[in-house]
Amino acid sequence: MSHNKVLGIGLIGAIICMYLTYLNTLLGVQYFSFFGGIAAVFALWWGTDTIKHLCSYGLGTGVPSAGMIALGSGVIAMILATKVNTFGPLVIPVLCVVIAAILGAIIGYVANNIVNMNIPVMVVSIAELCIVGAVTVLGLTAMATGTFVFTDLIAGTATFFGIPVTNYAASYLGGGAIAVVFMLGAIAVQHAFNACLGPNESQDRTLMLAAECGFISMFCVSIMSVAFLSLSAVLVSFLVSLIGWVYTYKKYFVLSKRDAFMWLDAKPIREKEEA
Amino acid sequence: MSAIKAGGGSEGMKPVAVVVGIILLILALGVVYYLSPGVAFMGLLGVVIGGLLIGFGVHFVPVGGAPAAMGQSPGIATGVTMLAAGAGLAGLFGGAWAAEYGLAVALAGGAIGGGLMMAITCLMVNIIYVYAMGIPAASGKVAKDPITGDTFEAYKSQGTEGHGLPFISYVGGVIGGILGGLGGTLIYLELLEVYETFLPTLLNASPDEVKALAVGLAGIFAIGMFLVNAVIAAYNITGTIEGPHDPKFKRFPRAVIGCAVASAVCGVLAIFVVLV
Repeated sequence: MSHNKVLGIGLIGAIICMYLTYLNTLLGVQYFSFFGGIAAVFALWWGTDTIKHLCSYGLGTGVPSAGMIALGSGVIAMILATKVNTFGPLVIPVLCVVIAAILGAIIGYVANNIVNMNIPVMVVSIAELCIVGAVTVLGLTAMATGTFVFTDLIAGTATFFGIPVTNYAASYLGGGAIAVVFMLGAIAVQHAFNACLGPNESQDRTLMLAAECGFISMFCVSIMSVAFLSLSAVLVSFLVSLIGWVYTYKKYFVLSKRDAFMWLDAKPIREKEEA
Repeated sequence: MSAIKAGGGSEGMKPVAVVVGIILLILALGVVYYLSPGVAFMGLLGVVIGGLLIGFGVHFVPVGGAPAAMGQSPGIATGVTMLAAGAGLAGLFGGAWAAEYGLAVALAGGAIGGGLMMAITCLMVNIIYVYAMGIPAASGKVAKDPITGDTFEAYKSQGTEGHGLPFISYVGGVIGGILGGLGGTLIYLELLEVYETFLPTLLNASPDEVKALAVGLAGIFAIGMFLVNAVIAAYNITGTIEGPHDPKFKRFPRAVIGCAVASAVCGVLAIFVVLV
């Protein structure tokens, strides 16, 4: 599959899934939160292919650095995008992509021209990675809290003598829950290529591992969302991520067996029978 | 396909790119000065200085990468980003604890946190190299240690670029940790001040109520900017560096300019959260 095709599927799939989480607000329920996680899986799947594209030129710093710069710049773009409310909440996913693309292009220019890396795909790749980071954090945020609007992300409720009051410390941003999402995304985006790289690397296997990493991150976020969502919505997210993870893990296992030179099913060590 | 071997990273600077970078930097400072000349502008200035310190500090840290793990090059056996993030975040936590005691104490706390983390790392790395792997410290880039005057030639194994962690690299690591921790803490403190000033009016709440939110926002932005700066510095080093005596160290002006531009742009976006 060409990189542009992966880019198209990843970007469009992620944005459509982000909009599907808005059904929460339209219908007044919380069950659609898991679509945020699916958006993150799409973004991570695409980001893995971008990292492969970039790292084939030889950065000299290892693959994890690409994941770190992706999420480090992405989280900045994402928080700003959620805050801008002049155009209503529906532009937030698109705005997130636009701000991340601009920030990523500037950082890519700095890395390519000022630091003098001279890698032809550097500017485009860092811009793509910044979008991947921003959409991943936005998606996992929507999954954890059911919304992607800044005012909802900063306001939590705490019960004070039986009366619910607004408490900023009990919110998603105030409580620092975003730091966990940040690291889950950063590890998920860089792990797949870091684990599969080598002369025997094949695209479908690497991308399957990327999807698996995305679903296992979703799994962790679904547990985090207990703090922000109703139990039934958490259960839906939990089951979706569990099914996705089991499916992609099994698929990855099959693909690993396919690509391996030889496969030996090790048996547990048996106790020697007493004569 | 190789992710370890460095392909890019040529010597020298591109004058056009540097000018474009400086224009971007001035533009970023100008926009924030136009919107809020007081706290926000000083905050952005602090963020840029913090980015500079991180970009400069990373060059001191002896990074060995995968070859160092096999005893084939000097330095700590991991990537630049991991080491810088470790030292900087340790410093950031050290400084953040002391934020309420004023700027000077908090900055000192951050610097000591980062330096201490690197000192412990370098010590344990040397213990493992010498007593577990059985390799002596020998630099491949210089014949004599600039501080102690020890000669390396007799201890260097053939076919390697040196190995272990010489004294000069240890000192470089501690200096790098101090600068990284200082920069990370400065970014955090400046952003914290900006958010503590603007959030109460923005949300119609008392300063005490939004304290947790300001800390959360400043923390996540500081971590994000730290990683961006560390990775840009890592790209400048392209792989491994022995410390301040390494010829690659002379490349640092590029990373300093790059980090200043990148942290200015990131800082503008972070400050826009409360201004727009």
